[in-house]
Amino acid sequence: MPMKGRFPVRRTLQYLSQGDVVFKSSVKVMTVNYNTAGELSEGARKFVFFNIPQIQYKNPWVQIMLFRNMTPSPFLRFYLDNGEQVLVDVEDKTNKEIMEHVKKILGKSKEMLENEERERKKLSHPATFGPKNYHLRECMCEIEGQVPCPAFVPLPKEMRGKYKDAMKSEA
Amino acid sequence: MSVPRGAVHAKWIVGKVIGTKMQKTAKVRVTRLVLDPYLLKFFNKRKTYFAHDPLQQCVVGDIVLLKALPERRSKHVKHELAEIVFKVGKVIDPITGKPCAGTRFLENLSDAENLTEADTTYLSEKLQELKVCSTDK
Repeated sequence: MPMKGRFPVRRTLQYLSQGDVVFKSSVKVMTVNYNTAGELSEGARKFVFFNIPQIQYKNPWVQIMLFRNMTPSPFLRFYLDNGEQVLVDVEDKTNKEIMEHVKKILGKSKEMLENEERERKKLSHPATFGPKNYHLRECMCEIEGQVPCPAFVPLPKEMRGKYKDAMKSEA
Repeated sequence: MSVPRGAVHAKWIVGKVIGTKMQKTAKVRVTRLVLDPYLLKFFNKRKTYFAHDPLQQCVVGDIVLLKALPERRSKHVKHELAEIVFKVGKVIDPITGKPCAGTRFLENLSDAENLTEADTTYLSEKLQELKVCSTDK
């Protein structure tokens, strides 16, 4: 049973996380003006259809607004935190070119992203045990080679407290 | 800790004006794309904000940019009008700077220049038909 829609790949988590445009923290609003007909707007239309979900997935706090058929020429407009506005003309560009351009002017560079990843990894220690939200493993019984969880496999007699107490009282 | 702007999370927003019946205040509808967790598709989610508009220059249907005020002006008004991005009916294309409507420019719309030869002949024929000739009975 295939997925519904024209390009249902766009609705998969793998596709969404493949978007590599992460905006700098100063970008607050992104506005896309494009036309539903006409060759010049073709790249912009593909950009809206394929790449906007990827961008919004990676930047959940940036407001993205789409305007159709308001002006003859398609363009992108970014509103930054310091009041600055960045106007990007996308007439006659393919959607890949638009993505690259946007990544170059307002996206976080690869080094910045790697730095952030490293910072995040530093906060969590992989060797601790606890709830799944914060740690990798909850109990020692999950690891191969350790004593299995007594909920599934009963412990041998010698390890049970009942037996040990009985032995002590006997001796 | 300094709080230069924002008793509000949203510092800059773009929205459409839906009401101007209040004095010096505009009701603005802001849409954000929100991911549906099951369909994994983005849908527009609306939220209304009230913005302070001291000169009452907003008309219903304008697209406006709002800026968060440093502190709340009243119970509901936490933003002010920063700029009217697109004025309804008088949209100006930011790339060329010319007024436009839909996918056409409005600038050169004077009749005399844009009429082609075919147009002028057709019109003159029509005018001939309309002429009241002296009927010779």
